[in-house]
Amino acid sequence: MATFELYRRSTIGMCLTETLDEMVSSGTLTPELAIQVLVQFDKSMTEALETQVKSKVSIKGHLHTYRFCDNVWTFILQDATFKNEECQENVGRAKIVACDSKLLSQ
Amino acid sequence: MATTTSQVYIHVIEDVVDKVRDDFINGGPGEAVLSELQALWEMKMMQCGAICGPIERSSVPKTVAGGAITPVHDLNVPYEGTEEYETPTADMLFPPTPLQTPMQTPLPGTVDNSMYHLPGPNDYPTTPHDTGGVPEVKVGRPSPYMQPPSPWMNQRPLGVDVNVAYVEGRDEVDRGTSHQPTTQDFFVSSGKRKREDLAPHFNTGPYIPQQDGAGDVNLEGLQAEAIGEMLSAQTNMASRIPQHDGPIPDGYEDIITTPGLYPYQGVASEDYNAVNTPGQDLQTGTPAVITQSEVGDDDDDEPPLNENDDDDDFDDVDQGDEPNAQQLVLAQFDKVTRTKSKWKCTLKDGIMHINDKDILFTKATGEFDF
Repeated sequence: MATFELYRRSTIGMCLTETLDEMVSSGTLTPELAIQVLVQFDKSMTEALETQVKSKVSIKGHLHTYRFCDNVWTFILQDATFKNEECQENVGRAKIVACDSKLLSQ
Repeated sequence: MATTTSQVYIHVIEDVVDKVRDDFINGGPGEAVLSELQALWEMKMMQCGAICGPIERSSVPKTVAGGAITPVHDLNVPYEGTEEYETPTADMLFPPTPLQTPMQTPLPGTVDNSMYHLPGPNDYPTTPHDTGGVPEVKVGRPSPYMQPPSPWMNQRPLGVDVNVAYVEGRDEVDRGTSHQPTTQDFFVSSGKRKREDLAPHFNTGPYIPQQDGAGDVNLEGLQAEAIGEMLSAQTNMASRIPQHDGPIPDGYEDIITTPGLYPYQGVASEDYNAVNTPGQDLQTGTPAVITQSEVGDDDDDEPPLNENDDDDDFDDVDQGDEPNAQQLVLAQFDKVTRTKSKWKCTLKDGIMHINDKDILFTKATGEFDF
């Protein structure tokens, strides 16, 4: 089953990657097993986002750059506003990376 | 039920660990390594602030505050009114009698009555329960507040010893007064401090062994020796800890530095989905990247991504910072459309890292002006 490795770039994904790196460097873990863990993380994270999260967000801003390559959209925004039910965040610069949701269902 | 980000992360961690447990146990390194992995992962998450509080497997309760662990004895101390564990100053503990009380040397057990008479004609007719800095205010004025503690302290009630214990007996060691033997007895008999590990090792001499490694000058030879042993033991232990930043085994260097660049996949770091669509279907209207003659292909399957075609001066500004500081949204897109210079997109199942906060969403709509 294919997975999106996209979520490995998040905070939780980076923490896991660092932990796995340390353990493989010290020989506690084999690289193959580390990769298995990461693949499982991809699946678990995707599923958790589908089932456990309920909030919606709206994003507005000036689009500085757009890129579509390998079915991945990358947007770079300037002066963006992220709004959800609880709070609003303003940032000077933000990057959005989005994979095609239809690919997972193939 | 609204689950917080922290709860979702904890759920993900547990889910991943559960699912890989079989792989670890059957022919793998074992359950212990898996537990270590989970612990390290959670620790890093807490350091990032992504998850908070002690992790309970069933729920996530708030960290219970330490509470007022005020020992009862503190209330009995007349001059200790400020902090729980505030150690009385040396003068308060062991009043240098000639300085503090020019009137009369404090005699244990006999002073109380006489000293209480004294404040009558003086400035402070108050009771000894008056708190504050009376003891250390003026020389020449009798400090009755000092005296009651002396006989009381000579009896070595529990409270004072605990206070002294919290500074690891440093004050007492420095003093080297006659109070020490009684203090030492207390330490040997209490057995409730971590010093109890050391107490059996050292004969109960007129000192209290320190754990912080800073040996005092006027220690006896035995104690200095013992501390030397402790220090060397600690150093030995430190040197036995294997280093993790040493030479890296061959072939793994790339894996460490570039997440996602594992040898078996051979994909470029920009490729976020493992679904390598054969014969890349690039839709019209997109910046097509079909054939490239650039040097330094990242891998065999994908053409180079031509990153350098972008506005370098704008992009580099942010790349100079830590990548983690970048505001990043990772999601899946359902639809991206454009009308003239107005872009609209619908995203789903995303993680946002914005202003040092992690926000998860199940749906997002974006409207951008290009």
